[in-house]
Amino acid sequence: MNNIQTFYSQKNDINEAVFELKNHLSKFDTKVLLFFASSCYEPHALSKAMKDSFSESEVFGCTTAGEITTGKMLKNSIVVMAFNKDAIDDISIGVVENVNDSENVREVFKSFESHYHQTMRNLDIEKYVGLILIDGLALAEEDIMDKIGDLTNVTFIGGSAGDDLKFTATYVFANGKTYNNAAILALMKPKKAFHVVKTQSFCSSNETLIANKVIPEERAVVEFNGKPAAQAYTEALGAKTDNANNYFMTNPLGLMVGEEPYVRSPRIVEDNKMKFYCNVIEGMELNVLKSTDMIQDTREALANKIKEVGPISGLINFHCILRTLELEQKNLTSEYGLVFKNVPTIGFSTYGEEYIGHVNQTSTILLFK
Amino acid sequence: MAIKVKIMINAIIEHQSKGNPAIAKLTKTKLILKGINPDKITDTSIEDQAIISKLEALGQELGVIF
Repeated sequence: MNNIQTFYSQKNDINEAVFELKNHLSKFDTKVLLFFASSCYEPHALSKAMKDSFSESEVFGCTTAGEITTGKMLKNSIVVMAFNKDAIDDISIGVVENVNDSENVREVFKSFESHYHQTMRNLDIEKYVGLILIDGLALAEEDIMDKIGDLTNVTFIGGSAGDDLKFTATYVFANGKTYNNAAILALMKPKKAFHVVKTQSFCSSNETLIANKVIPEERAVVEFNGKPAAQAYTEALGAKTDNANNYFMTNPLGLMVGEEPYVRSPRIVEDNKMKFYCNVIEGMELNVLKSTDMIQDTREALANKIKEVGPISGLINFHCILRTLELEQKNLTSEYGLVFKNVPTIGFSTYGEEYIGHVNQTSTILLFK
Repeated sequence: MAIKVKIMINAIIEHQSKGNPAIAKLTKTKLILKGINPDKITDTSIEDQAIISKLEALGQELGVIF
């Protein structure tokens, strides 16, 4: 039996759904249970029911804007990944409450240090990996990831919780409790190796934009290249300023690290300002990206990693809602789901992806050997 | 002569990575995400006090002695 199991339920009733999940895993010795759930379930009741049913396990998760499981993309469901003791040697789960103050990460890191009897700075980055599930509406991801990166070299990967595009409230869950304006950090010591895939379906162009004037608290850029932001953006595309939002999906901006873009996706134009789904810092030079084939790119990224590291026993896919919307527009969600048909998979459509920093229109994927 | 910003960046990368190329790359990526691109700062770049202040704060957090 695989040491990592996945399953899902599409029952509308929380108790029936949780019973179905528990029943499926009845013969599996679940040490850790990770779950992603549609916002159609009442969050407090769901979190409590999950912990009540898996009382001997460490249970955590968050709400979504769509779910992913082995071979499928779903809506209005709960997807779970169960790990036994041969998959996860140890885990410590902490909650960063009030995520708008990134200093609160320190308290959780202190609890990790007590648990593992090692400092976060000295943890072996090849033996430990962190998951982060964070409120998707608090606009706090950049500062939290920045603070995590300052305090440790351990990889923290994850996603921003969703609420099925209602944009009213997102929730994260830990051991029966429900939080918003919070982040769950789970520091794990997997029994075997783990790997990360970060994939986005864009290539760079010859056009660059330098953010000369920004409003960080609004994730807004006022000026690129000394011109009103939307004007500079559309000029780079050879388009009219009035049509800027027609290009957001196919031509986001990329902060380039070598050849690899860290995508910043425009959200809206207001008075010629461009507002983004993540922060652009004053002075940043961004490349105007061009979209490529998401299915092919994802398939290749996964295949290349498996070729490099050998077979994997499970993966968690933090998949941007903008990618899901693109797949839905193109009627490709089934095809995308099938990219993961041969690996036990869970994931969700996120309001942002986390890996080193906060990114958009990306899949950040954690793979377990 | 190398400018102060360049010296500070190199000190942070060396302190964090201790010669490990993967951590050096990770640290460089973190700096780029903070808005400080080591590749864009050369020995002849103009000193930027805002970047110096950011690097001083980061250095203090990391325990880097400049």
